[in-house]
Amino acid sequence: PRPAPLPEVSPWQRGGALAGSRRCELCGAAARLRCRRCRLTYYCDVDHQTADWKYIIDLASSTAQRFVLDGKHEEAIPAALHALRFSTEVYGSNSVQLVPAYLLLAEASTGAGCLLQASKYLSQAQWIVLRTPDCSVAVQQKLHRSLGLFCAAEENFEQALYHLANDIYLTSSMFGLKSIETSGGYFHMANIFFHQNKMDIANSLYAEVTDIWHAFLVKSLRAQEQIINSRPEMSPLTGDEAVGKASLTEAQQAEAIRVLNAVLDIREQAPKQQPRETARVLHTLAMLYYLGMDLPKAGEVGTKAFNLVKGLPQQESLEAIGHLLKLINSTPSCTK
Amino acid sequence: GGCGVCFPISQPVLPMAQSLLKAVLVICTYLVRWRTEYRFKGLKSLFLIPSNRNSYKKNICIDMLRQGYHESFSELFALIQKWNALREAAGPGSAIWQQKSLEEQPDKLHQLCHFLTRAEAAQRAGHYEEVYDNQLYLAYYCFSDPEDKWLSNYFYEQCFNTAQLIKIDGGKREAQAHANMGLISEEQGHVMKAAEHYEVFYQLTEGSTWKDETGHTYNSLACEHLWRIYTLLADKMLENKEHDQAIKTLIKALKMAKEGGDKMMEGEAAYYLSLAYHFAGEQQTALSILNTAVKIFTALCDSAGLGRAYAAIAKILESQGKAAETMKYLGEFMKVAENTHLSQSLVDACVLLGNIYNERGKYSEALEYFSQASEAAKALNNLPLVDETKTYCGIAKAHKLMVAFNSHIEAEDPVSLKYLLAWKENRSDMCTDPLTVGKTLVMKHISAVLSSMVKSFFL
Repeated sequence: PRPAPLPEVSPWQRGGALAGSRRCELCGAAARLRCRRCRLTYYCDVDHQTADWKYIIDLASSTAQRFVLDGKHEEAIPAALHALRFSTEVYGSNSVQLVPAYLLLAEASTGAGCLLQASKYLSQAQWIVLRTPDCSVAVQQKLHRSLGLFCAAEENFEQALYHLANDIYLTSSMFGLKSIETSGGYFHMANIFFHQNKMDIANSLYAEVTDIWHAFLVKSLRAQEQIINSRPEMSPLTGDEAVGKASLTEAQQAEAIRVLNAVLDIREQAPKQQPRETARVLHTLAMLYYLGMDLPKAGEVGTKAFNLVKGLPQQESLEAIGHLLKLINSTPSCTK
Repeated sequence: GGCGVCFPISQPVLPMAQSLLKAVLVICTYLVRWRTEYRFKGLKSLFLIPSNRNSYKKNICIDMLRQGYHESFSELFALIQKWNALREAAGPGSAIWQQKSLEEQPDKLHQLCHFLTRAEAAQRAGHYEEVYDNQLYLAYYCFSDPEDKWLSNYFYEQCFNTAQLIKIDGGKREAQAHANMGLISEEQGHVMKAAEHYEVFYQLTEGSTWKDETGHTYNSLACEHLWRIYTLLADKMLENKEHDQAIKTLIKALKMAKEGGDKMMEGEAAYYLSLAYHFAGEQQTALSILNTAVKIFTALCDSAGLGRAYAAIAKILESQGKAAETMKYLGEFMKVAENTHLSQSLVDACVLLGNIYNERGKYSEALEYFSQASEAAKALNNLPLVDETKTYCGIAKAHKLMVAFNSHIEAEDPVSLKYLLAWKENRSDMCTDPLTVGKTLVMKHISAVLSSMVKSFFL
């Protein structure tokens, strides 16, 4: 990113009432400089100020994201604006680093119903991407995801499907065909086809989303069990931390719960019931709750799955669900 | 700490008009590119479509995804990855290294898109026979080039998986799929796997009326495949000296050949079975089966088969020392050959007989038969065969000459010596007139050849 003009830091006055006791905001060493704008924060040099600002950008972004995940879109907007402003200061107004901030603002605005504002933010983001010749695939994918969701909100379904198709293509290139990252794109696409009443396509896509999560969670569960079995004195909580590579971020977990519950609702309210599909979603959710240490929910959902499969002619998944329930019941519940 | 809303967003430094002009120019460029490159019709959008020169592969994938054909997308994407993996594994210098990647072949991508999406639509509707038909089209018609064998095999396998789900056609496609998988296994050298598939093909087609485009019933095809595969299996067993196993397998092969109704197959099967018995030492059984083979080949007028069968009979009988029987059979062979006007068989029969007489020292008879063989070969216009039979004649003649030569030497009297000397000088027939002048040069050449033959005889 191009170095942006930073507001100056001025050496703070010595001999003042607070002389000798200021610590750098970032590293805690003795600070020589003070931010000129707010006059409240101290740093040992300009690099530390820049790094601190990056931390601030991160903080603002994740706060905004948490609000969005919780459905509080209006409350997310100030934090998202903050992230944008700091990003502009640090990286410059045409930098590709601004794109995530714009996309976050667009998402918050869309959710809050300000579609015009959202479209402006998305235009800006797209503008930057078009003008960045070596723009990474990751940024392009995020842009397409946001554009897709926005068009869907606008009920411009053809366009939304085009953008989501790009999203899925790019995530498949980055993470693989059946990755959990790709499942997001499939889910949003499924919602559009559902809205258009193209049920067979929607069902197929929802099934794909379920399958991707099912496969991922089975793998995670197996990995965790292997670790526990090799070190039996470890509780599942610490074992989960040790899994590392295959574990989810908090955001991913929250997203997964939201997505799978949405799919479950659709399955349960479908005019023509498909018990095998419903059971599969329930099983997947149970695994997710268990790995996230929400044992009561895991037990509730898992039992539902078990009873559903018992009533089916072919019960291949019964053993797996039964095993999961045993795990749930044998794990001592502990507060996180 | 947190700096709040203390300072404004920084503004770009360029003068207003300049930056506006620049912006307008860039917009126009992108709009022009959008119109020419992106073919999405009727799209009214607030946003510019990013025009970063999508590859054909990307456009096709996005097209499939937009319409909801995500399984087709996954399959195409995976096939492209598979090709790249195959190429990596083969390494530089291999045939595949030089080939164009699948993603750079628009016509193939187009075909894949077309049939995969149709298959997916059919699958969603539960019409598995349609899914199968689309996959079969890809396997059989679209990828029939040798360099696309891996793609064709892939889709045959997909057909096989789909066929298990089809209930509506009484199992015809399932049978077909087993046959195709059998053929692929056989091509790849997995003989046991091929046998398994062919056996299921046979079971599924028992009592059915299904026919292929040449009019053969599926069941008869199954018999043919099984005959062939059992013969291959038996070959391996014979190599490993597992005679009993080989015989059991060849008996199965013969049964299949009989059921298949193709007499040629049956004759071949009988012949191979008899060989197996011969190798196992059961000569009587071998002979009786060879007789069956002979009958079949005679009815078919197949000279190749007859030749092999009679040669085998002669060899076995000779090894058993049954001279008279051998001659009897070979005489039969000659009669058969004359009756069915099979010149090749006549040649074969005469050569066999000539060899036997030759080995027994009856060189005149041998020469007679070899000459007859030569005449029959000439009638066939088969020059290599004529040369071969002429060589046999030469051998018989040489042997005959040797007899006379030896007798003259053993006699040790002046008359004999005179004969010998005269012969040496002008190659006259030493049995008649020693003073006949012959063509000395030519005779000297023949003398050289005969001398070496005589030498080899003594060695």
